[in-house]
Amino acid sequence: MEVQGLQMTEAKTAPGLFKRNPPIAGEAEAIERAKAGDAEAFSKLYALHKRRVYTLCLRMLGNVSEAEDMTQEAFLHLFRKIGSFRGESAFSTWLHRLTVNLVLMHLRKKGLQLVSLEETINPSEEDSPKRDFGSRDTQLAGSVDRVALERAVASLPPGYRMVFVLHDVEGFEHNEIAVMLECSTGNSKSQLHKARLKLRELLRQAEATPQADLKEAAL
Amino acid sequence: MTLKDSNRPNSVSCAEFQEQLPDLFAAGATGHIEDSELAGHLKTCENCSALIRDLEYIAEQAKQLLQPQEPSDNVWKKIQEGLATDTSYAAKSHKE
Repeated sequence: MEVQGLQMTEAKTAPGLFKRNPPIAGEAEAIERAKAGDAEAFSKLYALHKRRVYTLCLRMLGNVSEAEDMTQEAFLHLFRKIGSFRGESAFSTWLHRLTVNLVLMHLRKKGLQLVSLEETINPSEEDSPKRDFGSRDTQLAGSVDRVALERAVASLPPGYRMVFVLHDVEGFEHNEIAVMLECSTGNSKSQLHKARLKLRELLRQAEATPQADLKEAAL
Repeated sequence: MTLKDSNRPNSVSCAEFQEQLPDLFAAGATGHIEDSELAGHLKTCENCSALIRDLEYIAEQAKQLLQPQEPSDNVWKKIQEGLATDTSYAAKSHKE
């Protein structure tokens, strides 16, 4: 199956999670063997990259079931297309791009047209962050743990979550996000800002009511 | 609602200041704002200062989410099933 819009070309710049990782021992050899159809080499590549791919899918999609499905899709696609990997960029970068594009395509198929549907990338009034012109509430600094942040990110509207994950977690630049989401750079900046505002709101609510379900709080 | 702060009728309001935040953050300029009116507002506005600190903190904390997580064993099983039905892969493997 030819996947429309899937960028199989090798990226010039490496995104965050993958950029910070050194070359992996045994990877190059496994890639070459995988190109020849070696099943053990596929298994090795999966073992080396499954956590990164799955974590990326989980962050972008916000739920385990879909993240596992997309991880499966990403590796199947990788194994079918590995022959076109020429080593001009890091393998992890190539795999990262492939995964991001597959997830975006999946979301579009589901009807989440990330840009053209304003209500998706610009969530409804209820989901939008409240503007903050006068409160003097406690600050967040030093008080947020990873679990709380995970839950808050998973509670974000899809459009906000996508831009936040791509920029703040994965380290993509606004111009790269704009290309991926087919929106303007200004739109990417604006959505990121709204995502952070919404997260602030969710995290403050969670601090005020620690037992509260953030999913409900986000609605 | 008027956007101007009634205590500082000639200054930039919180709303006006916050409208500039997406660009200021994107430029990494929240720590050294060049526009004197915006910088003046930030110096005197506790609310906007707190907002910036919180948003910077959230962006920083986002890096915690890089910590990888493990997919279930079922994912690899399904991939193997998928590969077994993939004709091009199956043909390659069969040759070996």
